[in-house]
Amino acid sequence: MFVKRSIGQILGRTGIRLPLVLWTIAVLYPIFWMFLGSFKSNAEIYRNPWGIPESFHLQNFVEAWTNYNIDISVFNSLIVTAIGAVLTLVMAIPTAYAIERINFRGSKLLFTLYVSGMMIPMVLGWIPLFFLLMQLNLLDNIFGLAIVYAVSQLPFSIFVLTSFISTIPKSLEESAAMDGMSPYRVLWKIVTPLSMSGIITVTIMNAIQFWNEYFMALIFLQSSENYTLALAIDYISSEAQYTNAWGTLFASLVIAIVPVIILYAIFQQRIAKGMTEGAIKG
Amino acid sequence: MVQSKKQKYTFLAFCLVPTFIMFAVFTLYPLFSGLYYSFFDWSGASQDKEFIGLANYITLIKDAIIPNTIIHDYFLVITKVIGIMILAMFFAVALTQLKIKEAPFYRIVFFFPNIMSVVVIGILWTFIYNPNLGLVNSGLEFLGLENWARPWLGDENWALPSLVLPSIWAGIGLFMLMLMGGIANVSKSYYEAAEIDGANQWQQFWKVTLPLVWPQIKISVLYIVITTLNGSFIIVQVMTGGGPNNSTHVMGSYLYQQAFVQYNFGYGATIGVMILILSLLTVLILQFLLRRDKVEY
Repeated sequence: MFVKRSIGQILGRTGIRLPLVLWTIAVLYPIFWMFLGSFKSNAEIYRNPWGIPESFHLQNFVEAWTNYNIDISVFNSLIVTAIGAVLTLVMAIPTAYAIERINFRGSKLLFTLYVSGMMIPMVLGWIPLFFLLMQLNLLDNIFGLAIVYAVSQLPFSIFVLTSFISTIPKSLEESAAMDGMSPYRVLWKIVTPLSMSGIITVTIMNAIQFWNEYFMALIFLQSSENYTLALAIDYISSEAQYTNAWGTLFASLVIAIVPVIILYAIFQQRIAKGMTEGAIKG
Repeated sequence: MVQSKKQKYTFLAFCLVPTFIMFAVFTLYPLFSGLYYSFFDWSGASQDKEFIGLANYITLIKDAIIPNTIIHDYFLVITKVIGIMILAMFFAVALTQLKIKEAPFYRIVFFFPNIMSVVVIGILWTFIYNPNLGLVNSGLEFLGLENWARPWLGDENWALPSLVLPSIWAGIGLFMLMLMGGIANVSKSYYEAAEIDGANQWQQFWKVTLPLVWPQIKISVLYIVITTLNGSFIIVQVMTGGGPNNSTHVMGSYLYQQAFVQYNFGYGATIGVMILILSLLTVLILQFLLRRDKVEY
């Protein structure tokens, strides 16, 4: 009886593991394969598209880096990501603090207005935004793109930061104010350090978002020296139809994904939590 | 706190006003302005902006491609909701209820595609569907099903369904985690009680798990619907660009083509208004359909 049951359990366990293992392969194999492909020559990609490379050579990376201006677009993406992430924080922290901690009329309404920004299809706004940026001389400009990115992540950032600031005990701010600290210093010296965990989560999420973003960059950037990585890859991909430079394409995909993998390896739990919380807003 | 009213309001203004100006200029103004543009015929140069009333809306109704883009969008919505919810629910139950040792490993792997760039996902899957080199056709040949092999993204009938798989692949992890969060909150005593009453695992799932994680299911479905209607055009743009022969155009990619490729900015804005109205209506209807009283045992 005992033996029979455990055999049944083992079979059940294996049965349930099968779909899990299959999905793991479905997720990991294309990613591994992209890495493998980046080390293969074009001839080998045709001969042996899905197997292990015969020899690992870095020619594709050199090619992408030097002949396809990936170096410039990596630099552009880094600038846009960094400026966008900092700007989001500068705008979101004071607003999140004021909404959460200061009593004023309309605070609920303001919060609702910001948060509903997460549900509105921004694609309608992109047409006027295009002309607005043109008038401000910020079209085809990575700083203009960074501003647009920062504002686009305001709803998410304010939403997560308010819920984070609400967990900080009020007594600390109150006693600091008793000691004569100005509200500006309370915000900067007390609230900001205490919400550091929330700030880090929001910043990682925003940075990944900006690093990956494609469509706004497609609309708001035009000349190739301003391309972000996503646009450069898209360009290499459409070129590869004619040049068959698949190896170079894979190398540029790898360059784009490695920073994300590193961030995920370090901050896996934070990222997962940040994203689920961002989605559970009802 | 000892501070004058004036100080309080100065501080409040410091916190709120600069951010709100940025939000107003770069989010609110463009949205309302988009609404306004939809009444104009405009190719982008400022001198030839002409007020044409509802003419764009009449063009919209008569445009033979528009109904297809709407159908394509809702096809993606429905297939994604079904595919993601079934798989995410299965994985969430398996990883929480069945005491699998390596569960954290699966959780970490399944979530990863959620933070990959759509460009990377799109190009990777374009390659998987590649008629000559691709994994799908090679796999079919390996299984002896050469007849099923086809140029997936180049086939008018198969291009759109082919976009569903990458979307599910990329989306599942997040919803699995949301459902796992819901299941973790269900008290163990309900399952124990159900077990004593003789309910098998399948009955436990239907009678205990499903009703009690209903809030998470509802949020997940709404979230998939919203993100698909507001963002499906990105994967379309990367993988097919709306082709072949408009067979994969969704509302957003058609807007992009009209506005930024053909410079019909007024008409593009009209499509944008349609997207806004449809997605708000869909969310309202869904919220009504999915309402279900909170279950408490």
